[in-house]
Amino acid sequence: MKARLLIVLAVFGLLVPACTGGGDESSPTDETASGPVTLTFWHGYTDAEADSMNALLDEWNADNPDIQVEPLFVNNDKALQKLTVALQGGEPPDITYQYGSSLPQLASAPGLVDLTDWVQRPEVDWEDFIAGARTAATFEGKVLGVPALIDNLAVVYNKTLFDQAGMDYPNEEWTWDDFRAAAKALTDPANKQFGFSYPMDASEDSVWHYDPLLWQNGGSILNDDETQAAFNSPEGVEALEVLTGMAVDDQSVYLDIQNSNYTDIFNSGKIAMLVTGPWDLSSFPDVDYGVSILPGFDGDHQTIAGPDMWTVFDNGNGRAAAALEFVQWLTAPEQVQKEDLATGHLPIRLSVAQDESFLQDFGEVFPGVDVFAENLSNVEQARPVMAAYPQVSEAMGLAIVSAMLGESEPQAALDQAASDANDALALGG
Amino acid sequence: MSAAAQDVGTVTRFRRFLVSDHVAGWAFILPSVILIVLFGIVPIVWGLILSFQRAGLISPEREWVGFENYARIASDPKARQAAINTIYYTILFVPISIMLALFVAHALNRKIALIRFYRLAVFIPVVTSTIATGIMFLWLFDKNFGLANWLLGKVGLGPFGFFEDPNQAMLALVMMTVWGWLGFDTIIYLAALQGVPNELVEAAAIDGASRWTTFWRVTWPMLGPATLLLVVWSTISALQLFDEVFFVTHGGPLGRTSVVVFYVYRLAFEQGLGALSLAGYAAAIAYVLFLVILILTLAQFWLGRRVVHYSS
Repeated sequence: MKARLLIVLAVFGLLVPACTGGGDESSPTDETASGPVTLTFWHGYTDAEADSMNALLDEWNADNPDIQVEPLFVNNDKALQKLTVALQGGEPPDITYQYGSSLPQLASAPGLVDLTDWVQRPEVDWEDFIAGARTAATFEGKVLGVPALIDNLAVVYNKTLFDQAGMDYPNEEWTWDDFRAAAKALTDPANKQFGFSYPMDASEDSVWHYDPLLWQNGGSILNDDETQAAFNSPEGVEALEVLTGMAVDDQSVYLDIQNSNYTDIFNSGKIAMLVTGPWDLSSFPDVDYGVSILPGFDGDHQTIAGPDMWTVFDNGNGRAAAALEFVQWLTAPEQVQKEDLATGHLPIRLSVAQDESFLQDFGEVFPGVDVFAENLSNVEQARPVMAAYPQVSEAMGLAIVSAMLGESEPQAALDQAASDANDALALGG
Repeated sequence: MSAAAQDVGTVTRFRRFLVSDHVAGWAFILPSVILIVLFGIVPIVWGLILSFQRAGLISPEREWVGFENYARIASDPKARQAAINTIYYTILFVPISIMLALFVAHALNRKIALIRFYRLAVFIPVVTSTIATGIMFLWLFDKNFGLANWLLGKVGLGPFGFFEDPNQAMLALVMMTVWGWLGFDTIIYLAALQGVPNELVEAAAIDGASRWTTFWRVTWPMLGPATLLLVVWSTISALQLFDEVFFVTHGGPLGRTSVVVFYVYRLAFEQGLGALSLAGYAAAIAYVLFLVILILTLAQFWLGRRVVHYSS
């Protein structure tokens, strides 16, 4: 008896989605759900970030009995791999957090919802998102994600080490020569103390620490029509020589090959200056640190932003529309402000970033983060959003690491990387 | 024969089949057969098909390209580097781990106090997770803050870069993996050593053979089957090295530890997911590796049959 009931239920379970899932003609963003839905929602937040996200989710779930959102933790670094597996199984999550750099790879994914029309809706207020994040969300003219988080790079320094050496803190007037001299002065080999640290895993992390120097000096990653590498220009070489001068000549850089040790070492007071983002600040409870914008070339202090995205997948049955309703709520100014005050995330919306009373509260709760928030106005350029970018990035990463290890000269390293990058660009993609 | 009788005949045959050992046997192994087919055979066949396609894992588009992926391997400098790195690793790992295991097994093959503790200590790294091992060695071998350099500094050596130095990273990886797998090899040798008949050793001693000669003329030949097993097993696992590279060096510095399987992973799961569609190419490399391992293993067994002495 029980077994027969199970069979009936199983058959019923197979048939129901087959009957209702046929409405492919209407746009997924318009179709409405016929009943209550439970959305799967992947995010990689931990600790305070997760607490804040869960509080927001509780609020939403209490107010929206028809659209319940169920979170699942997925490590951000592996979110793309995990999504790939889910897509192979034909069951992607309804909403997932992804790095902005993954968007071009995701563009060909079946079921990814094209948000180009959706973001034109007045209630989304698309223009209110930070410009750099909107650029990163757009691939080949299509909007494929909603900005979830934005970071940028600035100098985080150990005040105690500067005080002990009787040196002035980094300030907004600093050039990279000032930075280099300070790093050298604060390096003490006998005491295993370094002036600076650099991610040397040849990943995108190695590359985006170099990009601001390249841009400040007037260089660019690719040429204007994005068909050829341009980072091996004299400006690019000069920018890399700042880093090699410190790493090879001055030996003032802790070369973090695995890119996993620098937070602990900075926190134990053995590194004087880092170039990093606000996400690391919570790892430095033992250090009296200060934050300053990046040093510059010729007064240009621009930085780089790393925006992450919420992407939506269409699992039929009106789920995509429900998911977008939730994403719109999650990224509305009110929720953004709440989340930022709880986590120290930088405001993703201009209306929040320019709200004086918010900035005051923000600076009080998270000392130093207000500098990062203001530093968002120093974001002028974005990395190329293209399918071949991972290979361009790999070539650049190897060149930077190779030169900083003293294995090759900056010019030769960048020329080799440019040649590899051009091969990848020529393959198309 | 009437139709009814024929029916009865079919039914009895079916009954007999149902109670026969065949069905019971298959029923018992069915769970593992399903698992092996699902997670072994299906991916193997799917990978083979993939290797003839231009395909990314995210994009559903598949284009049949014949042997193009295979042809591409020859002109890919990164694939060549990965192959060289893998061979370099295998040549170091296999003999070092086996010789060290023989030495340790010999040392542990005696009745002394706390012998169980020593044997346990040697085996523990095998059951320790690769991640834990990796994190430990990263700190142990840290250029500036590691215990290894601190100790070496005491005797006036170093500091060494280990994982940070492009020329030492692979050696450091060999040290780490030898340490991690030593216990397994040792257990195999220990079992083999205890299978060496005592009267043979005693007879050799009575004939006036030195311990050294006894070992090489009596014990070592008796260990032949174990050695063959370990050579084949270690070679296969060395050629398929992945976990340690993934967790510890991620192929760096400068791609010097980028081994074949890691390169395949990078192509298929990191770089070629989308429009670049490199999963098919990655599958082709994986299949070439499979063929190399197959040929090498057959050669080892063929050679082994000539050299190894099997006692009855």
